[in-house]
Amino acid sequence: MAFLGQFLASLAAIIVLAWIARKFGLGRDIRIQDAQHAQRLADEVVCGFVAQKFALDESGRAALLRDSANRIILLKLHGAQFAGRLLGPGSSARVWQDQGKKSLEADSGERWFGKAFLDVNDPEDWLIAVNTARISAHA
Amino acid sequence: MPDFSPIDLAVPFFVALVLLEMIWARRHRPETYEPRDTLTSLAFGLGSSVAGLLTGGAILALSLWLYQFRLFDFGTEWWMVWWAWPLCFVLDDLGYYWFHRCAHRIRWFWASHVNHHSSQHYNLSTALRQSWTSFFALSFIFRIPLTLLGFHPAMILFVGAFNLIYQFWIHTEAIGRMPRWFEAVMNTPSHHRVHHATNPIYLDRNYAGTFIIWDRMFGTFQPEQDTTRIRYGIVRQLGTFNLLWSVFHEWVGIAQDVWRAPWRHKLSYMWRPPGWTHDGSRDTSDMIRARWLERQGAFVDDCVEIPVPNDNSIAGREKPA
Repeated sequence: MAFLGQFLASLAAIIVLAWIARKFGLGRDIRIQDAQHAQRLADEVVCGFVAQKFALDESGRAALLRDSANRIILLKLHGAQFAGRLLGPGSSARVWQDQGKKSLEADSGERWFGKAFLDVNDPEDWLIAVNTARISAHA
Repeated sequence: MPDFSPIDLAVPFFVALVLLEMIWARRHRPETYEPRDTLTSLAFGLGSSVAGLLTGGAILALSLWLYQFRLFDFGTEWWMVWWAWPLCFVLDDLGYYWFHRCAHRIRWFWASHVNHHSSQHYNLSTALRQSWTSFFALSFIFRIPLTLLGFHPAMILFVGAFNLIYQFWIHTEAIGRMPRWFEAVMNTPSHHRVHHATNPIYLDRNYAGTFIIWDRMFGTFQPEQDTTRIRYGIVRQLGTFNLLWSVFHEWVGIAQDVWRAPWRHKLSYMWRPPGWTHDGSRDTSDMIRARWLERQGAFVDDCVEIPVPNDNSIAGREKPA
């Protein structure tokens, strides 16, 4: 019984602290600023990754980077940080068209990492690149 | 024998200090916290205490059984032997160092300990991000030598609780560096930031609990560098705040790898370092560091400045110890 009381008090404290963090406006509105920033983030995903080609989402919330070996890294906003994945066998891409504007959906293939939507200039090129990277990873 | 739980008494102080740090963050560094990350970390802490309650009895029973085979006997009034307390604390801290080192170097133990590292933020709420599966991972075996040496299990639990409480305050970016003498002997926020970092130079360093001397003795010490911007978390960031996935993801990973691996490699996916694969398709921390060092060497050979941003706003304020 004492433990139940302790459990409920702790649960209440947790909810209150998380609410305060939100109320204080903690966290930050971070965006990928440019290719150099995206390169630095990609290097954090795969140490030594040197991107040759970049697709930066217009809003700065996601990016795709490709290196000379045609490996592709997907970066996406995660809270107040970025997280990334080297795309592999389970990954896929689709192009969406909405009111004449095309956008790219890049899916990491991992259920909990999920997918990212990118407003980029050349979605079709990246669609091919992602799907090619998937096939090469299978081979 | 003291009749109270140090951790239960410390919890209100933990909550108050998290609140104080949030007030500091609001004024100085709002990016230190992220509400969803905080919620996940604190839920980890709560779940961990429930897991501890469910499994603590079994660990205590096993320890009491092993205690009968002890090497030395402190007598029936063992709690009156005053020097046994600090000695037990120091030896328990040494045991903690080796537990912690194994928890980073053996995937089976890492599957449980990774929970503590899976936040991309470093604040006092991260300290409460404790594992739910440490019993399943058999983490308690690292305390068995102390029991067999002759320290009563209750004494070990008691000093272990103080060790855990000590480690709470070092999970912060609000403190730069402590005085040099303190940094030389004790684990501090600066040393522990290094431990939580994913920068190649910092990977698998500073395993200490309370005393940093163990890392200095066993060659795993790495001071915080003023020129390196620290990145926190794990090499393969989770990218989700889902609590259950955060708790169990590495266990799921082990199960999948063991299932898919050829027979002769199955066990290796449990006892070899995190990131090890039989086909070399992933990187261990040693491989990442080696590649990074190679690159740094190449940069130095080319007389190009090593590209680390000089924006460590925490450590940059003071001189290294």
